[in-house]
Amino acid sequence: MSLRSIQCLVSCLAILLAGSVSAHSAEIPLHQQIDSLIGVGKTQFEKTASAPADDATFLRRVTLDLTGTIPTSDEVRVFLADESTEKRTQLIDRLLASPEHARRMQYVFDTMLMERRPDKHVPAVEWRNYLRTSFLNNKPWDVLVREILSVDGTDKKTRPAVKFLLDRELKSELVTRDLGRLFLGRDLECAQCHNHPNVDDYLQRHYHGLSAFLNRSYLFKDPKTKKTSIGEKAEGLVSFTSVFTQEEGKTAPRMLDLPEIVDPKDAKADYKVKPAKNVRSVPVYSRRLQLANAMTHPTNIAFRQNIANRLWAMMMGRGFVEPLDMWHADNPPSHPKLLDLLTKELQKNGYNMRLILRELALSKTYQRSSQISAGAEIAKEIDFGVGQLKPLSPEQLAWSMMQATGLTVKTLKSLKAKQVKADPKNGAKKTEDALWQEEALHAALNKNVTAFITTFGFVGAQSSRFDASADQALFLRNGPLVQSWLVPSGDNLTARLKKLKTSSEIAEELYLSVFSRLPEKKETENVTAYLKDNQKQSQQALQQLVWAALSSDEFRFNH
Amino acid sequence: MRRNQGCNHLDHHLARRQFLAGAAGGAVGLGLPGSPATAEKIKGQHKRVLQIYLQGGVSQLESWDPKPGTEHGGPFRAIPTSVPGMHISELLPYTAKQMHLLSIVRSINLKTNDHRQGRLFMEKGRRAGEYPYVGSIASKYLAPANSELPGYIHISTRGLTDSTSAFLGAQHGQLKFEGVKPPKNLAVPKGLDETADARRVQLRDQFNQQFRVGRPKSLTESFDASFQQAAKLMGRKAFFEKAPDPKDLERYGKHDFGRNCLLARALLENDATCVKVTHHGYDSHAENFNFHLEQLGEFDKTFAMLIDDLHERGLLDSTLVMVYSEFGRTPKINVRYGRDHWGSAWSIALGGCGIQPGAVIGKTNEKGTAVADREVDAGHLFHTYLQALGIDSTNDHDIAGRSIPIGDPTAQPIKELLS
Amino acid sequence: MNVNQSDTSDALVAQKPVVDYDAIDLEKTHQVSEFKHKFPLTSCRVDPTGKYVVAGAQDLDIQVWDLQTKSNRTLKGHTSWVRSFDFSKDGSRLYSACWGGDIKVWNMADTQPKPIMMIQAHTGSARWVRISPDQKKLATCGNDLLIKIWNVEDGKLLQTFKGHERHVYAVDFHPDGQHLVSQDLMGFIKIWDMKTGKQARSIDATVMTGYDNKFAADMGGARDLQFSPDGSELASAGITKVVNSFAGVQDPIIMLFDWKSGKEKAQLKPEKTFQGIAWGVRYHPDGFLIGAGANRSGKGELWFRKPGEKEFFHTMKLSTAARGLDLLSDGRHLVIAHSDGAVRVYRMTAEAKRPAKSKS
Repeated sequence: MSLRSIQCLVSCLAILLAGSVSAHSAEIPLHQQIDSLIGVGKTQFEKTASAPADDATFLRRVTLDLTGTIPTSDEVRVFLADESTEKRTQLIDRLLASPEHARRMQYVFDTMLMERRPDKHVPAVEWRNYLRTSFLNNKPWDVLVREILSVDGTDKKTRPAVKFLLDRELKSELVTRDLGRLFLGRDLECAQCHNHPNVDDYLQRHYHGLSAFLNRSYLFKDPKTKKTSIGEKAEGLVSFTSVFTQEEGKTAPRMLDLPEIVDPKDAKADYKVKPAKNVRSVPVYSRRLQLANAMTHPTNIAFRQNIANRLWAMMMGRGFVEPLDMWHADNPPSHPKLLDLLTKELQKNGYNMRLILRELALSKTYQRSSQISAGAEIAKEIDFGVGQLKPLSPEQLAWSMMQATGLTVKTLKSLKAKQVKADPKNGAKKTEDALWQEEALHAALNKNVTAFITTFGFVGAQSSRFDASADQALFLRNGPLVQSWLVPSGDNLTARLKKLKTSSEIAEELYLSVFSRLPEKKETENVTAYLKDNQKQSQQALQQLVWAALSSDEFRFNH
Repeated sequence: MRRNQGCNHLDHHLARRQFLAGAAGGAVGLGLPGSPATAEKIKGQHKRVLQIYLQGGVSQLESWDPKPGTEHGGPFRAIPTSVPGMHISELLPYTAKQMHLLSIVRSINLKTNDHRQGRLFMEKGRRAGEYPYVGSIASKYLAPANSELPGYIHISTRGLTDSTSAFLGAQHGQLKFEGVKPPKNLAVPKGLDETADARRVQLRDQFNQQFRVGRPKSLTESFDASFQQAAKLMGRKAFFEKAPDPKDLERYGKHDFGRNCLLARALLENDATCVKVTHHGYDSHAENFNFHLEQLGEFDKTFAMLIDDLHERGLLDSTLVMVYSEFGRTPKINVRYGRDHWGSAWSIALGGCGIQPGAVIGKTNEKGTAVADREVDAGHLFHTYLQALGIDSTNDHDIAGRSIPIGDPTAQPIKELLS
Repeated sequence: MNVNQSDTSDALVAQKPVVDYDAIDLEKTHQVSEFKHKFPLTSCRVDPTGKYVVAGAQDLDIQVWDLQTKSNRTLKGHTSWVRSFDFSKDGSRLYSACWGGDIKVWNMADTQPKPIMMIQAHTGSARWVRISPDQKKLATCGNDLLIKIWNVEDGKLLQTFKGHERHVYAVDFHPDGQHLVSQDLMGFIKIWDMKTGKQARSIDATVMTGYDNKFAADMGGARDLQFSPDGSELASAGITKVVNSFAGVQDPIIMLFDWKSGKEKAQLKPEKTFQGIAWGVRYHPDGFLIGAGANRSGKGELWFRKPGEKEFFHTMKLSTAARGLDLLSDGRHLVIAHSDGAVRVYRMTAEAKRPAKSKS
């Protein structure tokens, strides 16, 4: 054989082998790939990584992360007693399929996209319902974003999705910045006036290229319906001047460094509906409709990287890039290969978020204990070798407290009874439906969630930083709402504790209901001692025992 | 009410917080009226700090270092003050009468024009890294052990909440008051007496001890510190229930800054250690002159009344007072009649405890474009504040197992300012 | 055969259209001269006889240029920036108001005028000065919230009008000489009866102010105020829709009010992308309106509006910000004070083909 043909043979073999290796690696589940990559390049990883979390810890953690609340004491008992090796996987699948998961995703994404801002043109209730329905159907992220960016608000059916653009009133400095921050993970704010003073790679043309998609769009108030929607002109160009250097530039709509999307030459100021007084104009060529395409286009890597980073942060406690909207050359991802992997998987799987969340939950990385093993060293930087403490969101805190104190179960009981009474024929069947239960509970208890949001939430760009204020402590300590949940009533926690005979029973019921685990020996002893010291005021003592557990560190954080 | 809550969108990295708390109600809680008797009691007590932060960068040319009639001087003129030979901007007529209580440093060069970097440098005395703010340092080293109020209180109607205590511990972090609104839920719940209340808090601590093992401290410490601060506020419940004296409101002004300064005075008279009041906003990239008329118009009389009251009540000797920003503003007036960021030649004013009053430290050149004499940065200022308060800033922090100098070792206090 | 042909064998030549160099053609407005000063200008005014243009700058002086000879005089004496001028009808007296609060009177006939009278009119800035139609009084307003009327001969204070609660930006006499109009920072326009010394009524221009939530300050005020020649209409130039006033993100606006009813007649704004301040407004005797303004990047625009219309029908871009505007008595020329230190004279006609003559 000639040398050339030998070379050819060798390279052909190599290709075959590589192909087979990649075909093989395509079969390795994502969660295993995550676990393989997580410690790569981090020499201290094995020394500092913690042990796997025990069942109770895992149950509480994943229930909070995927459904926004803690498990019931019964669920804890059942899970701990279950001897199946597949129980964690089955739990994850159960949680992802539940209506509570869709609600959790609604909370997470509503907060992320609308930042708890007060309503302007689209009622939050409708928008949230739109989000939740999308998540119930596991709508892919790119489809969701396309809808949010292309709807104009004139069609009643699709109108809720327009909240993102419309409630920012198309104000360039708001909407352009948030498009960058929330869909691309890049805060281009200062770049609007000059090339970003701190960050070399955010340039003015990035900011203005993004704003050019929307520069022809405007708010239009229908004189008859009084509803505001988005209209668009067929002309208008974007130019910019640095406030410091007076340099000028021009740009067509453009997604970061991807090519400009130039207006078609022939469609000069052409209208489907011409602008006139009280007429919402519709151009033949819409710059705004290009935005949805450009944002979700396969070439726009930043779009995928952003959601991969945010999903990782949601489960693991912090992103590869932190803050989540500050990706730039001087703030690179902590695990570029891993982020790359997640990004590719997202694309490969059509932006199926439930799939990604499932794989994240299945990984060993996710399931590590948040407690450093005795004698282990403390890692110098966050390398995901130890589970992160995650402060509960206001929604998680509210629902978990209502769950722990038994308010949720009590409320559901009475809602079911009411429904059966009102609809004797089908009521019983209807009330067994998980979705009915979730929606009924939410409607009944939403006021309480709002009280927590008011105290623990904040308006504006959300950050993963934990800020505990004296106001919040006073709310927990003295606020009438939480106190009201401690009063024994029906079958709630305090009522159940009252009926128990021994202090060790009380300790167990308390720990299972509030901390979602069994108490250690010492902990039972502490409860016993406390109850003994406070026999005289036993009802108050029980109530405040529950209070102390609810307002403790262990409850406040997802660990 | 003129002032509204809002978000500072110039600052990228910090969470913006805006409490969605409901109706504030009419009653504004302010403390006990000062009197010579009170002043007597306060003498010899612990040292205090009053910080007035003019957010956004006040123009030194429109305040402490006017250059009327020069190329960049702008339309405002200079007026004499109660200190012979010291002139400040005509926008501060009331403050001018109090300058015998204050000194000016005119030669600050931070070498940065960035809001966040400038602000953090001014607060921490360090250009970079996790270090505690002046207020947290005051809380740690000046607050009496049994102090009934949190050591570092920040009164601001705006949402920015910083993490200020670094390694000193979350209990020395700033407690933010949203203006003069009294905190809600100050009363122990019905049906609980003091003993029961103490017991449940103790029980909570017991739960926490278990959880702390093997876990990083910062988050749980923050959470626990908030309970400690809450407890202190509960102890001072009566403090928040008194309405301000209408005469005081007349003098200080009924706007937010006036009310906030009245609250600051009350806090300082009642055991607070460091109180910071933020006044928004000075970042006038456009219409610099009209805006400084507005903002300094509010600041001037209120501040003059406040420092006069502190002096009259005998508090000034033990209270360090500083009026500062994160930088000054450009001499060059831009095309929008604005001035832009200028960290390289600007001023602050300070006085009170340990500070030589009536002095002018340093000079800028004729046009204000550079420091001409006695250049200092926030590191030097930081040393100066602490030395004035009797804290040896060349020492290490009192943190077990760590050796961290309190002030930047490469800087020194401005000795001429120390009395 | 046309009139100019003398011989029928000459080819028929179509008559060239006669260009009336003097006919107003707003779309052909062009610069005809320029006067440069080394500091940015803040305001300008031409005298009624068309001899001089005066300008205030970001310094303490008043620049005077002779429009014919182009010679320059500098009037010194003020201790602060000068942002408002008026002239006596005969052009002999110049009245200047400065941020230091004083009004100075100058005799323009002097070779090197010095102030012949000084009125310490206001505590804080004196923002505006106007001479009464009967030439006997001066009206001033300022940051002390007051409007004051002075005897033009001896500078004695004749009347004081109180009522504004924020800085008063502009004041003027109604052509009837019996009423004053003033506008403050918050968009309150007050009409004062000079006979009774009291406020007669008010006009709502509160759309011309904005409170910036981020920076906690109000922005507004009339940057120019003008009555139509017959006094039936009032024009006010300023800002509206404050978004980010510290960065200059707000819209310029010129508002027109019906004098009799006080009702708003028009809100004139340039195109959406021109954000900034409207600094000047003038009525042309032919009925159209002229406006000028500055945007946040330092560019300027001239706006023209036909009577009764809701929008400017023509906009001329200026290379630098327009901070002051006046109309020459010949009705053909505009003067604009620019932020680059130049007063530029623009002619609202076609450019005539003139024999080689250097444009200055």
